[in-house]
Amino acid sequence: MVEELLHSGSGWMNFGIFFLLAVVLLLVVLGFVTYAILAERKVLGYMQARHGPNQLGGKWGLLQTVADVLKLLIKEDIIPKAADRPLFIIAPIIAFTPAFMVLATIPFTEKFQFADIGVGLLYYIAISGMTVFGMVLGGWASNNKYALLGGMRAGAQMISYEIPLVISVLGVILLTGSLNLNDIVAQQGETAWFILLQPVAFIVFFIASIAELNRTPFDLPESENELVAGYFVEYSGFRWAFFMLTEYVYMFAMSSLITVIFLGGWLPPFDFLGFIPGAVWFALKFCFVVFVYMWIRATLPRFRVDRLMEFAWKVLFPIALANIFLTALIKTLFF
Amino acid sequence: MTITGEFIAFMGLALVAIIGGVLLLNLTKVVHMVVALIFTFVSIAGIYVLLSAEFVAAVQILIYSGAITIIMLFGIMLTKHDDDEETTTGKGRKVLLFLGVIGFAVAVYIGIYDFNVVQVPTDLHVDNTMKIGEALYSKWVIPFEATSVLLLVALVGSIILAKKEEKEGDKE
Repeated sequence: MVEELLHSGSGWMNFGIFFLLAVVLLLVVLGFVTYAILAERKVLGYMQARHGPNQLGGKWGLLQTVADVLKLLIKEDIIPKAADRPLFIIAPIIAFTPAFMVLATIPFTEKFQFADIGVGLLYYIAISGMTVFGMVLGGWASNNKYALLGGMRAGAQMISYEIPLVISVLGVILLTGSLNLNDIVAQQGETAWFILLQPVAFIVFFIASIAELNRTPFDLPESENELVAGYFVEYSGFRWAFFMLTEYVYMFAMSSLITVIFLGGWLPPFDFLGFIPGAVWFALKFCFVVFVYMWIRATLPRFRVDRLMEFAWKVLFPIALANIFLTALIKTLFF
Repeated sequence: MTITGEFIAFMGLALVAIIGGVLLLNLTKVVHMVVALIFTFVSIAGIYVLLSAEFVAAVQILIYSGAITIIMLFGIMLTKHDDDEETTTGKGRKVLLFLGVIGFAVAVYIGIYDFNVVQVPTDLHVDNTMKIGEALYSKWVIPFEATSVLLLVALVGSIILAKKEEKEGDKE
């Protein structure tokens, strides 16, 4: 359906259809974020031997996040007097926009994708790198030393971890010979999932992606007990909600990307299971990746700030480089 | 000239790029300037997309997002907060500058006005990433490798310089 639309001529009709689809996607993502937060609290709760939210909306606390969001929306909007007003206002927007933009290129199933870009993978990585502006700007504009420190850490961390992230995925690109996400999935259909062919790349990518998402054990930009809450200390109400939304939308996007690159996207694990539609497979793998993120958050303590950079540059980066070298060697020698 | 969607998109992006550049010169706080710079770079990436050079556009954003963040961090660290620049240019200098700008504009206009671009139909935009790769590793392999060696030398050099200063600092 979308495939035909993408190849048809441009016009107001198509513009309208795409606009509507984008609105639908936004609502789906918002729904995901609502329940991802609940799921995270529940998972963390059970892993720490407690129940998590269980009051509002029945036994499972199904309306807890809805109530939280309502609370945030009706909260007073505070802009500190000493803050840099225009930047303070624009920072959450700059942070959120790329988070939603990256979703355009992700193929959810064979038929459902918004933009079939030739350099899809590169587009994702490039656009997602822009969120750090919002974080650094927000930290600076708040005119608060904790916020500034958080912003600085966010900047340094995002730049350092983007390098292993990109380099680890080069192995996959070498095997596929394309940057297009559809081609990457198609290649996995022909050979095997890239998690089996490129296990090292997968581990490096997964670790770097946690750092890119600013989640524990890499949540130094917003570590509660050192920096209060990092770059968004001064934010409240819906502006703060925007920063949180950014994080969870990125979790959505990153889990989808990992599903597409390493877990075979919408493809079933075995051919005889092909009668189950691709969307179901995608959703299952996607949920599994999201669960692993929560699991890691519940399991591991936070990194020390001086270890963080060392780990990126002295451990992940050489491993990723060695992985490319090996992949290239094997590809030229045996294929 | 007919007004097409491409034309409108180009005008929008070009306007944002130029406004970003002008703001970069006119704003007084470093961080504000960097924000203006972001708008310029992103809209230039948009112009690359219009020229169907999607690979260059993605790389532009990828490289410059890191670069801008670094500029921003250094801007924050190396300048005083709330330190507004004061302009100290005289009137005579402003007039001279204005004349220079007009002269440059006229020269460019004369240069461009009769410049005829011969439009050759190409299929460069199809699979342009692959074509860039093939060209880089076959036709332009020596300049490409030379550039990478140059960058490596610069990288090693900067590390050595940084280390040296640290040692001297320790001795003192």
